Amino acid sequence: MATQRVLPQSKETLLQNYNKRLKDDIKSILDNFTEIIKTAKIEEETQVSRPTQAEQDHYEMHVRAANIVRAGESLMKLVSDLKQFLILNDFPSVNDAISLQNQQLRSLQDECDKKLTSLRDEIAIDLYELEEEYYSSSYSLWDNSDVPLCEAYRRSDSWTSPDSSCSSPSEDREDTEGPVAQRQTLNTNSMDTASPQLTNLDKLYVL
Amino acid sequence: MANERLRALEEVEKEIAMILQCAGSIMSELSKDKPNASQLDRQLLQFQTSVNRVESELSSQIRYLTQVATGQPHEGSTYSARKDCQMALNRAEYAKIKLGELGRTCEVMLEQQQQQQQQQQQQQQS
Repeated sequence: MATQRVLPQSKETLLQNYNKRLKDDIKSILDNFTEIIKTAKIEEETQVSRPTQAEQDHYEMHVRAANIVRAGESLMKLVSDLKQFLILNDFPSVNDAISLQNQQLRSLQDECDKKLTSLRDEIAIDLYELEEEYYSSSYSLWDNSDVPLCEAYRRSDSWTSPDSSCSSPSEDREDTEGPVAQRQTLNTNSMDTASPQLTNLDKLYVL
Repeated sequence: MANERLRALEEVEKEIAMILQCAGSIMSELSKDKPNASQLDRQLLQFQTSVNRVESELSSQIRYLTQVATGQPHEGSTYSARKDCQMALNRAEYAKIKLGELGRTCEVMLEQQQQQQQQQQQQQQS
């Protein structure tokens, strides 16, 4: 707890320091400026001869002008310190900046994922048709243990029992496509001349 | 994402530069043989308003900071959202690469098919 009490004190002293610097610099600028204007007045010759007085006035004005510039520089440094302090410690604006950035990043992520999901759905539809075409033609090299998408579908349709060995993502297709696939298979098999291994499968499909 | 207060402080910096410039122009005007009184008055007025504006703006900023500042450091971050976003972009990149490979495979197969068809046609002609 002692450290917690110390830290706010240093922030307090820091802010008091900023105030003091501000007041000193503004006062310095105004005072030096008025003094230069006062010194510009030409007076009667008193104890000192005119050239000497002129030389002295010239030097004094030079110094006061340098003071004004120094005070201006110090004010710029103060502004820079205030900016730094604001960025680090102004919690409302820091919170706003963080929440805005989080929101932007999350919306970008959601958009990306939405596009990927729609892409996946389109590709799944095409994949279903392609697999059907491939596995019902004479070029495929599959055995009964490896169940493709359309075959699993047909099995569930013909045996009226869900086939759990099929690992495809689109098991919930509508049932009307089953008989169409069956008819397609029969057609391609009848057109096929040199495929004796498929005649046994014909009998399976006729079920 | 820039803060209103930071923009106000930028304005204050420009005002300070303006103060010094005004002071310099007043001095040069006074050093002439026939100083223009109206211009002197105008420059002087500008100098005074700039100084007052700078002082009021900076003191209001310091007052705001005395109300808002605590000793604790801020511990918020955007790391989790940024990481999630990065992962989503990586997923999209991966999908793009895979689709590119698929496309190239299809093109290769089509070329092979075309070559085979051309060979068959040549054999039929000869």
